[in-house]
Amino acid sequence: MMKEDNIIVCRCEDVTLKDIRELIKRGYTNIEEIKRITRCGMGPCQGKNCGQIILREISMITGIPVEKLTLQRYRPPFGGIKFSEVLGENNDEK
Amino acid sequence: MRIEKHPILTFERGKEIYFIFDGKRIKAFEGETIAAALHADGIIKYNTSPKLHRPRGLFCAVGHCSSCLMTVNGVPNTRICVTRAKEGMIVHSQNPRGDLND
Amino acid sequence: MIETDILVVGGGPAGISAALACGRNNIKTVLIEERDFLGGQLIKQTHRFFGSKEERAGSRGIRIAEDLMNEIKKNKNIDLYLDARALGYYEEEKIFTVLQNGRMLKFSPRKLIIATGAFEKSLSFENNDLPGIYGAGAVQTLMNIYGVKPAERVLMIGSGNIGLIVSYQLIQAGVQVVGVIEAAPEIGGYAVHASKIRRLGVPLYTSHTIKKAIGNEFVTGAEIIELDRNWNEIKGTEKKIDCDCICLSVGLSPLVDILSQSGCEMVYIPELGGEVPVRNENMQTSIDNIYVAGDLAGIEEATAAMLEGELAGLCAANTFINDVKQDERIEKIKNNLEVLRSGPKGSKIRSGLNKLIKGETFFQGGRNTGSEIEAFKKTGIPSGENLRSILPDEKRINETPFALIECFQEIPCDPCVNNCPFGAITEGTDINNLPKIDYSKCTGCGSCISRCPGLAIFLINKNYSENTSTVSMPYEMLPVPQKGEIVDVLDREGKKIVSGKVVKVLKNEKMDKTNVISVEIPKEFFNVARNIRLVK
Repeated sequence: MMKEDNIIVCRCEDVTLKDIRELIKRGYTNIEEIKRITRCGMGPCQGKNCGQIILREISMITGIPVEKLTLQRYRPPFGGIKFSEVLGENNDEK
Repeated sequence: MRIEKHPILTFERGKEIYFIFDGKRIKAFEGETIAAALHADGIIKYNTSPKLHRPRGLFCAVGHCSSCLMTVNGVPNTRICVTRAKEGMIVHSQNPRGDLND
Repeated sequence: MIETDILVVGGGPAGISAALACGRNNIKTVLIEERDFLGGQLIKQTHRFFGSKEERAGSRGIRIAEDLMNEIKKNKNIDLYLDARALGYYEEEKIFTVLQNGRMLKFSPRKLIIATGAFEKSLSFENNDLPGIYGAGAVQTLMNIYGVKPAERVLMIGSGNIGLIVSYQLIQAGVQVVGVIEAAPEIGGYAVHASKIRRLGVPLYTSHTIKKAIGNEFVTGAEIIELDRNWNEIKGTEKKIDCDCICLSVGLSPLVDILSQSGCEMVYIPELGGEVPVRNENMQTSIDNIYVAGDLAGIEEATAAMLEGELAGLCAANTFINDVKQDERIEKIKNNLEVLRSGPKGSKIRSGLNKLIKGETFFQGGRNTGSEIEAFKKTGIPSGENLRSILPDEKRINETPFALIECFQEIPCDPCVNNCPFGAITEGTDINNLPKIDYSKCTGCGSCISRCPGLAIFLINKNYSENTSTVSMPYEMLPVPQKGEIVDVLDREGKKIVSGKVVKVLKNEKMDKTNVISVEIPKEFFNVARNIRLVK
């Protein structure tokens, strides 16, 4: 048997395949819902590693092709930035 | 281990420099990333993961995953796979999230 | 606020080509790149490119990268921002924000060209996060940019072109490749790339997948398992493989964060690698002033990315120059892209592009079936029948030296045709056709050997002496043997068949490090000997 709790879907937030499959089976079949519960896609990589795997898992369990699923939303900034950069202490317009 | 002779490429390495990783003196050549220098020294385990405490090392080498974050000169969560090594740098494998105590 | 006509995001092959297309037309262009150097994946590509002469087929990717980067630096219309990370695009204000050296920069471009490329797909298997498991891009970065050996014994997961090419590059870097595994029943990439590593003795496991990585602190091995026709694991076929690195090469996903955030219409198309922007044939997205090029518009290879980059650049620029000469070039690029995608290996990308826009067909034609090469596609080793189909007749075999092109898969490629000084090699009008040799014209000069990106051409001199033949073969490893040296002679699976004497070593600048080694062997092996190994 495959040990699902030994398979990492999201490196940033340490989420396993077991976590993801359990959520999907409990009815969370939208990647944005799973993101809010597990923080998958909210870490430094912004969903680059986990996104595709989660979509495929949702598709496999629900039988809905990936093409028809809700896709992940992207928001700026794309990756971590420092508060000083947000506050703009070095910017032209303060 | 560094590749000295390659059938296609020639590696023009910069000046030999040293930085400190968790108390150990590491050799690097100017222009190399911290990750490349650690790798050349045989260091491939970087830290343990935030919740499950699993060993982690380099993964994507282009600054897109979270596998290689370290504290560099006091700045936590630095992507060492895209940060170039500098003479005298102090590099620490960080607690999973990094902290700002330094 | 920095005003510019064109802002190109991404300094890989597509972005560079887009910026150059604009810069050459005297249009004010800004090129931003996240790294502190240009070139994207192109600067790691030590192999020779496929495609047509016009797109510099036969040249190594690194040489193409050098030329493009030099042109960028010389072009006064292009402002280059390195170490500059895109943060977001705000369509209402038409402002693009970038972070450089801790400073937030605001750009106000008239047109945007997004060429952010792709990122590597991950794979689910036990312990898939263990140190020693790297993406193929990471392995290439370590060994081809920094000259650091990624490991000693690598297991490659995935037999697409990247997996096969990186395997070959690992061997060039002095690393052992203990196997390439592929879940599908046949090789994903070009079969000639597979042949190259098979000749070096690398086992290829089709219909296999990785079950788990073994190791506590880092990789010490892997467990693989065979799959049946329905992709289910076959119990009892588990196999342990010793390795200190597992290299993942299981495909790429378009990096579409900026586009998706900007509000471009997106669509999920598996054939193109996942979520891609809807776009027209001018590379324009659903937002009029945003254009795209390269892998983020659908995963392909660098040649297509460079053509798309130039196309996007010209189309974006054309909205304010309107130049008839450029219109001609635009048509030409579209045609070249179509040719590149029209062979059997392009069927996936064609089907993906045809799904891109409802009611619009990118491709009318294109061939889906090629020559009968089932076994070759599974193993990378041509069948007896394949080999018989290319041999000249008995009389010609025994006359003078002749070239043999072991190219059985229809892929877009033509350097052999363009480099034969006697016009003996032809492939008709379609660069996807298999090359044919007119043996009445082939003089056995061997100049085609080092030109073939697939390293698939050999020169046979059957009657070198009464009892021996010579085989001349491309050789890109170190050390290079000396004339007179006795070496192991290997077959197409990298197995030793006999010892042979090196009778000639040909290397010059034009051959760009693809040396040609001629080895003397007993006559019976003239159609078996295809590689050499130095005896230590």
